[in-house]
Parts: sequence; C-alpha cells; structure tokens
Amino acid sequence: MQTFLYEDIVPLFPELTVATAAIVLLMVGVFRGDRSTRSLVWAAILALAGALAILVQEPERSVIVLRGMFVADPFALFAKVLILVGSGFALVMSISYIEREAMDRFEYPILILFATLGMMMMVSANNLISLYVGLELQSLALYVVAALRRDSLRSTEAGLKYFVLGALSSGLLLYGCSLIYGFTGTTSFDALTDVFTERGTQPSLGLLIGLIFLIAGLAFKVSAVPFHMWTPDVYEGAPTPVTAFFAVAPKVAAMALFLRAIIAPFAELTGQWQQVIVLISIASMLLGAFAAIHQTNIKRLMAYSSIGHMGFALVGLAAGTPEGVRGVLIYLAIYVAMNVGTFACILCMRQKDGMVESIADLSGLSRNHPVRAAFFALFLFSLAGIPPLAGFFAKFYIFVAAVNAGLYALAIIGVLASVVGAYYYLRIVKIMYFDAPAEPFVRPIGGEMTVVLGVTGAFTLFYVFYPAPLVAAAQTAAYALFP
Amino acid sequence: MVSFWDGYLWPGIVIVAQCVALIVPLLIAVAYLTLFERKVMAAMMLRRGPNVVGAFGLLQPFADGLKFLVKETVIPAGANKVVFLIAPMLTFVLAMIAWAVIPVSAGVVLSDINVGVLYLFAISSLGVYGIIMAGWASNSRYAFLGALRSSAQMVSYEVSMGFIIITVLLCVGSLNMSKIVEAQRDLWFAIPLFPMFVIFFISTLAETNRHPFDLPEAESELVAGYQIEYSAFAFALFMLGEYANMILMSAFTAILFLGGWLPPLDIAPFNWIPGFVWFAIKIVILLFVFIWVRATLPRYRYDQLMRIGWKFFLPLSLLWVVLTASAIVAFGWYPSKA
Amino acid sequence: MIIPEIAFYLFSVVAIASAFMVVAARNPVHSVLFLILTFFNAAGLFVLLGAEFLAMILVIVYVGAVAVLFLFVVMMLDINFVELRQGFLQYMPVGVAIGIVLLIELVFVLGTWVIVPEAKVFAEAPPPANVTNTHALGQILYTEYVYLFQAAGLVLLVAMVGAIVLTLRTREGVRRQSAFAQTHRRREDAIEIKKVLPGQGA
Repeated sequence: MQTFLYEDIVPLFPELTVATAAIVLLMVGVFRGDRSTRSLVWAAILALAGALAILVQEPERSVIVLRGMFVADPFALFAKVLILVGSGFALVMSISYIEREAMDRFEYPILILFATLGMMMMVSANNLISLYVGLELQSLALYVVAALRRDSLRSTEAGLKYFVLGALSSGLLLYGCSLIYGFTGTTSFDALTDVFTERGTQPSLGLLIGLIFLIAGLAFKVSAVPFHMWTPDVYEGAPTPVTAFFAVAPKVAAMALFLRAIIAPFAELTGQWQQVIVLISIASMLLGAFAAIHQTNIKRLMAYSSIGHMGFALVGLAAGTPEGVRGVLIYLAIYVAMNVGTFACILCMRQKDGMVESIADLSGLSRNHPVRAAFFALFLFSLAGIPPLAGFFAKFYIFVAAVNAGLYALAIIGVLASVVGAYYYLRIVKIMYFDAPAEPFVRPIGGEMTVVLGVTGAFTLFYVFYPAPLVAAAQTAAYALFP
Repeated sequence: MVSFWDGYLWPGIVIVAQCVALIVPLLIAVAYLTLFERKVMAAMMLRRGPNVVGAFGLLQPFADGLKFLVKETVIPAGANKVVFLIAPMLTFVLAMIAWAVIPVSAGVVLSDINVGVLYLFAISSLGVYGIIMAGWASNSRYAFLGALRSSAQMVSYEVSMGFIIITVLLCVGSLNMSKIVEAQRDLWFAIPLFPMFVIFFISTLAETNRHPFDLPEAESELVAGYQIEYSAFAFALFMLGEYANMILMSAFTAILFLGGWLPPLDIAPFNWIPGFVWFAIKIVILLFVFIWVRATLPRYRYDQLMRIGWKFFLPLSLLWVVLTASAIVAFGWYPSKA
Repeated sequence: MIIPEIAFYLFSVVAIASAFMVVAARNPVHSVLFLILTFFNAAGLFVLLGAEFLAMILVIVYVGAVAVLFLFVVMMLDINFVELRQGFLQYMPVGVAIGIVLLIELVFVLGTWVIVPEAKVFAEAPPPANVTNTHALGQILYTEYVYLFQAAGLVLLVAMVGAIVLTLRTREGVRRQSAFAQTHRRREDAIEIKKVLPGQGA
C-alpha cells in the first residue's frame, strides 16, 4: 500500500514548513482574532527563515520526485532563496505599517505565506499542471492581499483589476498548456524535451500557438509589455507593503518559472520563441523607460520601473544560453535587493497626517533627512544602473550574454533604454537634493526599517567588491537548466 | 419476434414488475406511517388517536387519501403554474427513485450499482429542489421564507452527512450498498462508530425537515411554510414524499450502521427470520424514534440549528474521518479487497 | 442493444434543449432550473460513458450544492431582467465572437487527433478491466497526482480564506447567545433566597 516514499518528501521540506506554518497560524489567528496580527507576522517571518535554513542545508543535487511533478535542483534553490528573502523582507517592512494604517487583519501574514508557498511550487514545477497549480495558489493569495484594505476604494479597485486580468491570463496560459498537451500528448517537461529532440525543430502550427499562449500567460505574470496594463494600477492601489511584496517575490517567481518553462522543455524550438521574447523584451524596456517619465506618484513610477527591469531580465532569457540564464538570476537577486531598499524608503514617507506617495513630497529631502535621502539616492542610482553600484552589474551580465548570443540589436536597444530610464531616477535625486524642502517626514522610522535599509544598502553598495559567491551560485543554478 | 420478446419485452416486464413490487408496499408503508405517527403521538400524549374509521382506525389512511383525491387543487393567482405543480411531483418522485439501490435483503435490490451510496446521497441532495421550487412558485412570503430556510438547512447538514458516510466507507472499502451490509456481518458499525451513528441520525432529522428541525414548515411561525398554498393532491404528494423520505433515511441509517438485513446475532433463532423482516424491524424502530423525538422536543431556533450543524457536527465528523483513517492505517485494518 | 442509444439521444437532446432554454428563458429562475436540468442530463451521459462516479459527483456537487446556492441568489435578486435584455443585440457581436472562438477551440481539439496521430493514443485510454472507475480514479489521484491533489486543496483553502477576508464584517453591538455561558450558569449565580421578615420587605 506504500504509495510514495519518504525520499519523495525530503526535497519538499521547505515547502512543507511554509504550508504547515500557514495552516497552524491560520488556526491561531481564527481563535485569537486580529489582535494577534503582530505576533503572527513575526511567526510568519520565523517560518520563512526556517524554510530558508532547511533549504540552504540541502545537498546540491537535482532530483525529480512525486512522479515527475516536482523538481529540486540548484536553479529552484537559487530562486527559492530569493523568494523567501523577498517575502521575509516584505513582511518585516509591513509590521509597523499594518498597525498604523489599521490593516491589522490576521489573514495578512497567512496569505503572504500561502503566496510564498505558491511561488516555491512554481519554481519547482516540472510539469505543466504543477506549474499551473502553483501559479494559481500564488495568484489567488495575491488578489486577496491587493484588496486587503477593503474600505479603500483604490485597494478594492486594484484587487478587482488584478483578479479580472489575472484570471484572463490564467485562461490564456491554460489554453496554451492544453494545446501543447494536445499536440505532444504530454504535460511533463522532461517528456516535452524528449518529444522535441525526437521530432526535430519543425513543430506543428498548433503547438506554436500553444507556446505563444503559454508565453503570453507568463508574460502577464512578470508584467511584460503588452500584458503590463494592470501593473501601475495595482501598484498604486494596493497598500504600500503589499506593493513592496508584489514588486519583489512574485516577479522573481514568475521570471524563474518563465525560464524553467521555456528554456529546458522547448530548447529545440529556440528559434521559434526567441523572436517573441526579444519583441516583448524590447517593448517592456522602452515602455518602462518612457512611460515612467511623467509619473507623479512614486508607486506608479516603481511600477513602470519594474516593467522596464523585467524587460532587461528578459534579454537574458532571449539569449537562451547558460550565460543568459545566469545573467537573469543575478539580475533578479540584485533587483530584489534594490527594490526592497527603495520600498523601505517609500514606506518611510510619512508625514504627520498619514502616508504620502507623491514625488513632490520628496522635495528637499536631503535637508530634512540627510541619511534617508542618501539611502534613497543610492538605490535610485543603482536602479538606474550607475557603476559601481550593484544595479550596473546586473545589466552588465545581461548585455554581455546578449552580445555573446549574437543579439546585438537587442543589447543596443537595452543600453539606450537604460539611458532614458536613468533620466527619471535621476530626476528624483535632483528633486531630493536641489529643490526647496517640503514638509518633513515623521522622524523615528523604527528599528526593523533601519535594518532593512542597512542590509539592502550595504549589498547594493558593496556588491562590487565581493561578487564571487552570487555569481558562482547563479552559475550552478543556470547550468541546472541545461542538461 | 422471438429476439424482440427475449431482448426487450420480457426484461422490460420484469423490470416494471420489480418496480411495482417495491413501490406498492412502500406506498402502503407510507400510508400506515402516518397512522403510526398519529397513534404513537397520541399514546405519548395520553390520547387515543384515530379510532373511528375501521378497527383501531386502521382504514384512516385510505380515508385521508380519498379525501385528498376528491378535493379541488387550488392554484394561487400569482403562482408560477408549471413550477408550482412540478414541485410536489419532484418531491414525490425523488423519494421513490432513491429506493432503486436499497437492498431489502441479501441480493434483493432493483439495481446493485457500485456507487449506490453516492446515488442515494445525490438523490437526497436533490430533495431540496422540490421545496425551493414550491416556495418560490407559490408567490407567498411565508412559503418563500420556508424555502430559504430549508435550502440552507439541507445544504448545511448534507456536508456533515457526507463526512459520516465517508467514515463508513473507509471501514467498508466499497460504495456498494450490499457490500456495506455484508461488511457488518461481525459487528454493526453503530458500535465502533457510535458518535457518528448519533450525528447521522440527527442529520437525517434535519435532512427530512422533521422535528425538532422542521423550520421550513414551522406551523406556528410560518403557517406550514412552503406547503402553505398547496391543497388536495398536490399537498398529498408533499406529504407522501416527506414520509417516504423518512422511511428512506431510516433505511439508509439501518444499512450504514445497523447491519441492514442482517440479524443482530448470527445464531439459531435469529437467523431463521428472513432478512427483509429484520430490515423492516430496524426501520420501524428508527421511525419510532423519529416520532418520539417529535413528541418530545421543542423546535430549534434557526441560528441554533445552523450553529449545531456547522460548529459541532461538521468538525466532529471531520475529526472522526481523520481518526478512522488513522486507525485503519496505523493498525492495518484495511477492508478486505472487494 | 438499442436502449443505450435511445438513452443517449434522450439525454443529449434534453441537455441541448435545456441548455438552449437557459439562454432563451425569460424568467431567470427558469433559466437556473433549466441549467440544473442540463447538469442532470450531463450526469446521465456520464453514466452512459461508464463514468458513474463522475456522474454522481456531478449531481451531488453541482446540482445538490452549487446550483442550490445559485438558485437561492437568483430568486432573491430584484432585477428587471427584461430591461437587462434590452442591450442583448448590442452585446451580440461579442457573444458570437466568443462562440466562434469556442468552436475553433473544439475543432482544434478534435482536429489534433487527425493532425497528430501519436496523440490519438492518449484519447483512447481504455477503462482498465476489473476495476470500478471509483477505484481507478482513487488509484491515480492518490499516487500519480498526489502532489497536485494536495496543492489543489491549498488553492481551495486560500480561496476560502480570501472570500472570508474580503466579505466578513463583524457587526458591532450584536448580542450573541453563548450556549457555553448558559449551560454553565449555576443556580447560585441566578437566584438568591432571602428571608423576608414580616413588615420589612425585601
């Protein structure tokens, strides 16, 4: 009667930790009510840390368990570490916010945990069905946290918009999956690889349409143009710590899923999907750069910034080489650090009568709060890709990979887009340092914010001196995708 | 012509005869259940009950039936005629077709399908439609309130009933009704699963809209609820359906927990009596409890009804599913492969 | 045997006719009732296919629970559906477009078997002998797909939590019954026996 073995479960321990913690905390929350939110947030952070500890202890290997549904390899490990770190930071940053802004629903940390679990399942998916289930788990939880402040019109609007468009994209994705299944007779990634190796590089039309739909669904999740419309509204409407979470963990998960689903199974079809990815990538980079210029709301600006950054990351995917994948992974790691830092700065934008999020409120920040302004400037410079900050290296690896893969035009457009993009980041720096001071922000920002700012700031600033461990880890992870 | 006779006509006749053989006794049983109820209630209230028509009032049910037949069926002016008339028929038909899978004795069953329990559960979950349709089509506030109450009530109690059925199925390893009975040859499930037996019985009270959960009718507040606009034979169909459902649910309980047609002990004086007699005895005992409860308990308030269903029965039955499954795995009590 | 064929045509004709009536009925409650009839006939078709477990689950879940709640809601809605229908022609192109897309999808699915011969193998998985389809479903669900099964459970849990988070409002000032407090109330808490002396009062 033994249906699955203990060995099948071992690679799932990090996921099981998160799942068990979420369920236990849910019970605690149901019985203790909203007054337990603060302790639940800390417990959730602890659970994420626990999962992280278990994850990094695992031996480095590639195993496929549970009848080919779940894969644990260095690639998944790398992505999961990023996801857990991103989620953990997002939770830390939200602690004081949720109390101040009356968002202390005990379900908040639990939904974040479930979303994180979904992301971990996504990056470990080895089958179109497990891909979809993980994606749905993540998306459902995200729809709800976006609308968590149900008394705020904008938050509900964000949740609803995200839900409707997200459901549409899930539909596209599923339709793509069903076409791929119909034309190959399998949903397993391994089997897909075999099918294409046997059948050669001339796929049928239906299969290509399926692949396009799959890419469209995934592009929605990473908010790449032309499936980006939801991003600014959701970023602006959702509560700021939730936006910070959106900007970090789901992006990593979706991008990792993108790599996993496209690179290995469809390796034989590189010629077919490469042009699509190149197109999406160029459109995202350009839109991210140009549309952000006129924004007055810092959260909206960050939305366009993330669209642009996803465009850059897709350059690495377009290359389709181990070097490109390595570039994407490094990019994601640095992106997480920069975004967490930036959002920590945004979360500190609080005047006497509440949170503000307009860029004009930052005016003259350097005179009111020199340290905060310095950190903000640091992250903005890094986002713009100014050497020697981390953000520069992220773009550097990507463009080198693109050039080595022969995608010269893509690399040149990317560089141009990043120059245009630099304009709007630097504009904020100019406003902070050279404009007349606005009303000052509330002073003590809290210990946890200081820690977040310190850690991410140090990473951004000092990455240049010690890049080896990250590069090495990304290297191992990238090669795991190429058999 | 021979093949037509052998292939279609004769099997058809056999099937019809079997159905008639099941339904006619059932209808008589329903008729006498009404009398049984009145007599038992009367005895509990120190009255005599019906005693005028026939000896001991034995012909009373037929008199009642005749009266229903000759009265006029009144259809309210604002009613939705078609739905109004379909509702009682639906209730009655559903109460009848569910009997197709009930094994009356060893091998004596109209259709011994593999998913018998699910079939029964599906049919009983459809019962709510008769009530909702009646409540809506009557175009009356009372009727509609009754329908709303009943749909919420029946859907709620079905959930915990489902879990209880799962505990039994875990012990049997089959969804076939006959196999469920055969699995109890040594020990009736009422003994190891006693709490589930009690909860299941209470849930059947709610599922059949009987006291103390007769809120859909609640004559003192809703003046008979969904039945308020019905008269004559339409009303009689509702009554027949309700009582047939009581018998059906008792039979279901007897099969799941009281060993169906099996004698209490498989020894000499008991196993001389044929199986269907044991089955009938068990059903009558359960029906007696139905009536006993009606005569004894006051009606529940609506929120109390929901509370007991969702906050007590559901967690408890869920817990028992987990416990039963764990015990089966831990001690290796897997049901023998059917 | 001709009877399964008769049954097939009966079920499918009624299913299609009632599906049509779902759209065409003037009264929304009638639409829901026809929808239920459609479900029921679909269950009948499942039985004919030999998938009796699916048939029963379809009736229990869709007809017995989901459609009841649906009917519940539609009955209580006070919407003038005739007015809503005014825009019918306006939305018709969209509806037709969706219909055409669905048709193309169906053609795709059926066409696959013609275009890709290998895929046909999967379309004709024969029911295993000597195993009821309940057993067969269980065996595949709890071995091959156990991971997905559990994950789907988590998805449903999140959906449930989400629905509660977004809709549950605890009203202030509602006096609730505490059965626990009631049953634990002792006689001494409730009444006090006082010796009342004549002429003095309590």
